[in-house]
Amino acid sequence: MKISRNWLQTFFEAPLPPATELESLLTFHSSEIEEVITVGDDSVLDIKVLPDKSAWLLSHRGVAKEISVITGLPLQHDPFVHPVVLTPVTSQVAIELSTDTCDFYSAAIVTGITVGPSPAWLVAALAAIGQRSINNVVDATNYVMFDLGQPLHAFDAAKLGQVDGQYQIGVRSARPLETIVSLTGESYTLQTSDAMIVDRTNDVAIGIAGIKGGKAAAVDAGTTSLIIEAAHFNRVAIRASSKQLKLATDASKRYENGVSKAVAPIALAAVVKLLSEIAGGTLVGYQSVGDPTVVRPPVTVPIDRIRSVLGLPLTVAEISEILERFRFDYTITDSLVSVTPSFERDDIVIAEDLIEEIGRMYGLDSIVAIPPLRASVTAFNARHYYAEIVRVTLTQLGFNEVFTSSFRSSDVVHIKNALASDKSYLRSRLHDNILESVQKNIPHRDLLGLSAVKMFEIGTVFSGEGEAVHVGLGVQTGTTYKAKIDDALLVEAQTALVNALGTPLSWTGTEEGVSEFSLDEAIIVLPRPAAYAPITASAVVSYVPFSLYPASSRDIALWVPLTTTHDEVASILRTAAGTLCVRITLFDTFIKGDRTSLAFRLVFQSKEKTLEAGEVDTQMTAVYAAAAKAEWEVR
Amino acid sequence: MQQPAPGHIHLLSQMIADINQIFGRIGFEFAEGPEREFVRYNFDMLNVPQDHPSRDMQDTFYLDGTDDKVMRTHTSPVQVRYMEVHEPPIKMICPGKVFRNEATDATHEAQFFQLEGLWVDRDISLGHMKGVLEYFFSEFFDGKAEVRFRPSFFPFVEPGVEVDMMIEKNETNKLSGRWIEVMGAGMTHPNVLRAAGINPEVYQGFAFGMGIDRLAVLKYGIDDIRLMYNGDLRFVTQF
Repeated sequence: MKISRNWLQTFFEAPLPPATELESLLTFHSSEIEEVITVGDDSVLDIKVLPDKSAWLLSHRGVAKEISVITGLPLQHDPFVHPVVLTPVTSQVAIELSTDTCDFYSAAIVTGITVGPSPAWLVAALAAIGQRSINNVVDATNYVMFDLGQPLHAFDAAKLGQVDGQYQIGVRSARPLETIVSLTGESYTLQTSDAMIVDRTNDVAIGIAGIKGGKAAAVDAGTTSLIIEAAHFNRVAIRASSKQLKLATDASKRYENGVSKAVAPIALAAVVKLLSEIAGGTLVGYQSVGDPTVVRPPVTVPIDRIRSVLGLPLTVAEISEILERFRFDYTITDSLVSVTPSFERDDIVIAEDLIEEIGRMYGLDSIVAIPPLRASVTAFNARHYYAEIVRVTLTQLGFNEVFTSSFRSSDVVHIKNALASDKSYLRSRLHDNILESVQKNIPHRDLLGLSAVKMFEIGTVFSGEGEAVHVGLGVQTGTTYKAKIDDALLVEAQTALVNALGTPLSWTGTEEGVSEFSLDEAIIVLPRPAAYAPITASAVVSYVPFSLYPASSRDIALWVPLTTTHDEVASILRTAAGTLCVRITLFDTFIKGDRTSLAFRLVFQSKEKTLEAGEVDTQMTAVYAAAAKAEWEVR
Repeated sequence: MQQPAPGHIHLLSQMIADINQIFGRIGFEFAEGPEREFVRYNFDMLNVPQDHPSRDMQDTFYLDGTDDKVMRTHTSPVQVRYMEVHEPPIKMICPGKVFRNEATDATHEAQFFQLEGLWVDRDISLGHMKGVLEYFFSEFFDGKAEVRFRPSFFPFVEPGVEVDMMIEKNETNKLSGRWIEVMGAGMTHPNVLRAAGINPEVYQGFAFGMGIDRLAVLKYGIDDIRLMYNGDLRFVTQF
């Protein structure tokens, strides 16, 4: 949520620290700050308010309170401290609640309104937090919501019916397929689980409870009298409606996060006062149904437990001092502290909640690390143990390990809410992904210096009910599957695995050079591991981004003297080939008489483009020239 | 023909083996659980109630024909499964694949690997957590690492923290000398202990969870985590 520093300042007499300091204080004692931006003479902090604090921190008052507790700067006025009594009461409006979704509804009647532009300070305050000014009435309700966290709504009273001079507001469940047109003109179809605000004189819907107002009683330029709503709606019901309607608003967000119902009357009185200042409104009176009182049971925790959970040697005096800053009601002895949280703090229910409050305000940076002691494990993970044996065995045969997606375009188990249609099923075998990966890598063989693409995956596959870890192998030497050559390489690996694991394996039939077996099934008959094989950490290499353009290969075969090594030759050829040559592989060598025949494959690739044949040929001309200069005969 | 070059164990597997070895030296066991998980393990027993905004913190893949199973959104359900069948003291890690229904980009994958850790005993504190994490990062990144905590929220821990790490300034290590956000952690919520059959009046402990992909990005300078899951040997063979 966006929080304006200038707005926060209205809660304090003493000047607040600069925004960068507020950022740091909040980061280490309250919440993550996504960013701090400058808006005119103001600084705006974008605070990531997480669900545990969302009932009370989605407001400037909430953030001001946090800053007060963190810094010890007192709030010059805390609207939540003094109870508000909604007087005078008027009988010009009657309220009827017929759904459990609403347990408190208060309304104010304000007359003598002149709808017009908001004063500059209000426009600026809303603009700072990214809100567009609409008119003084709507802006006032928005301002109080962002100030105190309580959603409010203003209805044009003249658009509502009356019975015997009395407006008739109702909150009821929606009728099947009932529709409403919102303030901004969109039409919504409701379900009976959604709640509506209605004009009971004609049963016309004037709002979707807790989410958005309706067009029927919208405030417009000619509005002169208002009925203002400050209500409390059930968080679960509002969350369900918001999801059902795919309509999340600043109001619904606050209700579903459980804004305290005790805030409603406070906010109603605050908006009436603000309207009288900026829109010429005069209060006729209030009416309410339900009890907004929130009683929080005390939370008790042994002092030792606070120390033991946080790992901080807090003194009773330090704990008292923190609770003073919160202004919580509390009692404390040498062994026990008992705290009654303020009404808005729905997140302080159990001992651990209180421990967190004390810990974060004291400062988590004070926690001293306790280094762990050496110890050994006595139970070993068989899957990991045997998977490691598979990895070592296969990589020794030149196989590379891959991880692929658990999703497929078609298979047995369908995902209800898939990201894409080609990823809408769980894989029931590794086969398809391995085959695709093998084929995808065939064009890179020369680049990678491989005569065959050999790969494996160890991954989970899913049947209708169960899941199992499989090991899948794939081999392909040419651009198409060559059963005779490819299967021989596969069989070599299968045999090696059977030997390494020491048990027969149930391979699936080989198709296109791919076969797999269930590692889980094999483990059933294998002995329990008694130790993991130690691994030696290889040197940390940094990833080097690779070119996405295709590579081209050229072969050259040379006769060289017996005393000339292939490394010397490769080095000279590489230099001649230039920087576009990314790999040089010796692929054939034999001795005849007093000469060695060496055959190299040179691979060319650019990071910027697809190389044209001519460009590669130019490089090869230089390679041939270098060979000639060294007096090596080209075969 | 020249002998084929030996193959490469995937970077993720190398990291998991390394992580297991580092934690094994301080007595943490390698645990596992299913990737298709019961809702009660993935959410309910982890103190993430239905109809609560905290469920929105992790976008979930749901499956046809069942309302009680999802693709696990984190490795945390393994905490519960492990605690159900073990008595404290409990020290475990769980590396494993998790699923999030999120659009993918260079830093987000819908499927990725997470590392979970849990230590439950009579008097385990945030101080122990700090010690274990400093030990782990020092070993894993091969440099003296310091961690710090910031307040945060995860439903399965209380207090919950974000963990930042800093490796002692060292000219050869580009990561060193600055704070880096690495994971979420906290003291295991009493509701989670209770759901797993452990008495929170007697035992307490900490849990942490982080992306192994994130560790790879930091340690190996990988610029796109999708490279780890697309079967491209131009990536695999670099490690």
